[in-house]
Amino acid sequence: MNPPVRALVAAPTVDAARQIMERIAAHLSRVVQGKEAQARLTVTSVVAGGHVLLEDVPGVGKTTLAEALARACGLSFSRIQFTADLMPTDILGSQVFHAASATFTFRQGPLFRQLVLADELNRAPPRTQSALLEGMAHGQVSLDGATWPLPAPFTVVATQNPVDLTGTYPLPDSQLDRFLMRLSLGHPAPDVEARLLTTRGRTPPVEALEAVTGPEELLSLRAFAAELRMDDAVAEYIVRLAQATREHGDIERGASTRAVLAVGGAARAQALWEGRDFVTPGDVRAVLVPCLAHRLMLRSNVQGAVAREEASHLLEELARKVVAPR
Amino acid sequence: MSGASRLRLMLRDLGAGAAFASMAVSGQLPAWTLLLFGLALGSALMGWRIFAQRTKATAALLLGVAGVLAFSVYAGSTDLVVASCAFAGLIAGHRLLSTPEPRTDGQVQLAGLLMVAGGAALSGELAFALCLVAFCVLASLSMGLSVVEGAVPPGEPVPVRAVMRPLGLGIFFAVCGAAAFFLLFPRLNWNMAARRSAPGLGATTGLADTVRLGGEGTLKSNPRVVLRAQLTPDPLQERLDAYWLARTYDTFDGQEWTSIGQPKRSRQRVTLRHGGEQSIHQRIELLPAYGATTLVALETPTRLGNALAHSATGSQRTSLTEMGGGEVRFQTPGIAYSYEATSLPPGADTTTPMSEAERGQLLALPDRLDPRVAALAQRVLEGEKEPVAAARKLAAFLQREYSYTLELSGDVEEPLVDFLFVRKAGHCEHFATALTLLLRTQGISARLASGFFGGERVEEGYVVRAGDAHAWTHVLTPGRGFVTVDATPPANRASQSLAVLEFLTGLYEALETRWRSTVVDFSLRDQMQMAQSLVRPPRGPRRDSTRLPPARVWGLAIAAGLVTYSVWQLFSRRLSAPKPHQATHLADAVEHLLGEAGVRMREGEALEEFTSRLTREQPTLAAPLVPLTRRYLEARFGQRPLQPGEAERLLSPLRRVLQTRRAS
Repeated sequence: MNPPVRALVAAPTVDAARQIMERIAAHLSRVVQGKEAQARLTVTSVVAGGHVLLEDVPGVGKTTLAEALARACGLSFSRIQFTADLMPTDILGSQVFHAASATFTFRQGPLFRQLVLADELNRAPPRTQSALLEGMAHGQVSLDGATWPLPAPFTVVATQNPVDLTGTYPLPDSQLDRFLMRLSLGHPAPDVEARLLTTRGRTPPVEALEAVTGPEELLSLRAFAAELRMDDAVAEYIVRLAQATREHGDIERGASTRAVLAVGGAARAQALWEGRDFVTPGDVRAVLVPCLAHRLMLRSNVQGAVAREEASHLLEELARKVVAPR
Repeated sequence: MSGASRLRLMLRDLGAGAAFASMAVSGQLPAWTLLLFGLALGSALMGWRIFAQRTKATAALLLGVAGVLAFSVYAGSTDLVVASCAFAGLIAGHRLLSTPEPRTDGQVQLAGLLMVAGGAALSGELAFALCLVAFCVLASLSMGLSVVEGAVPPGEPVPVRAVMRPLGLGIFFAVCGAAAFFLLFPRLNWNMAARRSAPGLGATTGLADTVRLGGEGTLKSNPRVVLRAQLTPDPLQERLDAYWLARTYDTFDGQEWTSIGQPKRSRQRVTLRHGGEQSIHQRIELLPAYGATTLVALETPTRLGNALAHSATGSQRTSLTEMGGGEVRFQTPGIAYSYEATSLPPGADTTTPMSEAERGQLLALPDRLDPRVAALAQRVLEGEKEPVAAARKLAAFLQREYSYTLELSGDVEEPLVDFLFVRKAGHCEHFATALTLLLRTQGISARLASGFFGGERVEEGYVVRAGDAHAWTHVLTPGRGFVTVDATPPANRASQSLAVLEFLTGLYEALETRWRSTVVDFSLRDQMQMAQSLVRPPRGPRRDSTRLPPARVWGLAIAAGLVTYSVWQLFSRRLSAPKPHQATHLADAVEHLLGEAGVRMREGEALEEFTSRLTREQPTLAAPLVPLTRRYLEARFGQRPLQPGEAERLLSPLRRVLQTRRAS
């Protein structure tokens, strides 16, 4: 196994950062085969300090991907299965009374991990979703008038099934806006599925993955990515793209300012893949759809997979029409 | 010497050239000063600073030149202003050929300023204005470049391109501002009462005391306007085809024509003969292109007067001197003249006063006239004795049997015989001489007349060009005086310059006239008058009904406002438009090269995406394209600018690959 890369902490360089990212992505691809692009985008999102929403039918590897990410990054991990009867305290934790000392102590819930897999998030009632929201937005939880910080780096990988919407609580816009990217794994290609069958025994289990980095280095990587240079023309390009979503006739509500920041952050992390310390319009385009598609409210009022498709098409069309700086 | 220094010196020298040209266009500088300055400028532009080693010794030459000029002023052959201007030009020429150092730069610019001031003293025409603007622009660019050169540490390259653009833009705005100030604000004219003189590009034609036969007739192709006239009553014809008489000649010695008349007294107004009821009044302006002191008037002139001679120092009245043969001359030398004349319609002259000697001279023949001339006249006339009929018969014969040409080379001993019996071709002087002499051999009195034939309507008056210069015959007829008979074929009488040249010259002269009337002569008084006429309510029966300015003032104000607003919008849009990044030119070049090879970008595709796609689809292009694109991205978005020449180095591998593809 590869030893964890520790060079970044001492002297951050673009090459060291890319090396770490490549290794994480390679680990993810080992357990979720045929999804290299999604694996790279997941890593991009984590490096940009964002949360990821995996939206797909069950059984395509969403959980595996999240768990592999936690292991490769050396993060503490918990998986919360969201159900209709899940209460906020079930994820946040609760105050426990100690009769001997007549005091309450806080018992941490499963949210107190560095990487949390919120499985089928849309099945939980809004109160529980809101409890998660605070953790995602502020890296802390509030309970009974007290706040507890979540461990850093704190990342949520949530999943939801876009087809089976019966008995679900669709995520409110404010919550969707908290996710940096929405990704869809989709079914693997037939040849990959066939290979899965033949190499089942040799595919390494998630538990076998070793960390290629650690929480400390991941934080350093995030800080490094956030400092990458963005030319005024590229920043203006992002704003023009956002403006175009706000003015498009088929879009009820376009990209928010938070969305603009999200695109910028993701584009910075994307630049590292190319070994660059500056952002180009190409980086922006590479992350445009995963960062913005889930944040747009369309006039057609369609839901689920259809909405996802339509929003992606609209964004691709805008990316062609809005002239990139050159 | 660095490229920047060479450019600075070239701009400085050209600026001095423009300043000198601002004086030279007046046409008053002596020819030798033009030659000397031209040589100095040419040498300086070639980089030959031949006085660099012996600046002080060569400066002594200037003292000699100054002495020559001073003597010519003392002798009265050169005007003091003209001599000063010529000397300023020679000083500038000397400085151009000295060592190029900052001190010399200042001296050259100062000499340039002096020359421009001299140019203003000599003329104020359009050509001067153009030279002035050229001097301002070139000298300012040179000085700006000099400042930048001084600011750059020794050994460092001067960013010529980077500074020339803002410098040029700044100077452009300065010139526009100066032009607007000059045109819009009232100013004092040199001479508040009278118009300025109107010198132009120098004399191009003139009437000599003699007419010598032979030589090439280049004058016919000269489209310069020599005369402007307003006629009363106005015949209202597009082409006047009239004879403008300048002078007559009565004595022919076989080679050239002269006149025996002696100068008579000088007066303000000259009466040549009695006028008639049908007199034609003319207000004539003789332009500098004319370059002679003989008055020109429509045939047959009766009175000439009210003459003004225009010179560099203003306009003044001039007396007229009557010479023999009806010629009238200005007494005061000038660059241009204006005067009034009255003439009788053709054929109405009955009272030509002549002395006996003049009358007798009208039948004189050269001492050794070839007998074939008389024989020819006799044969053609077949006994015709009536002077006009005989002259017309001979003219018709000449027009029929002889051809017109301007291509006559070399002097011949007997030009008339050569024309009549050898070459059988000539121009107007040959035809007129032949007719006059043929008539005289038959005892019919005749003389040669010269001047202009033509008259082309322009606006309210008529213009006559240098190419309209002409010669014809006056036949003395009992009871009718002199009658004009023209032996030259009709098609060849007027100007024979190219139509396009005539058009261009006309355009320039129209511009010059407009410039003179609306700018140079547009004095404070004119401006006040125009402003008052605009603001004053229209006079009419109900003039007291309103004190508001007329509607046209409001219309003009609105139009001016709209134009100003539009211009401002245009400029502000241009100025605020983002300038393409330096690296963008590289991307453009790549796109252009690939486009020429048939590889085109998709709609909205950026260069990096284009490169990624080509790397997949056409791997041969990947090798030159990937590093190029990466460097472009660094330069454009990564703040690592391209070094000089780097773009070309990056493009050359791509060019090679594309050439190979094309060849295969």
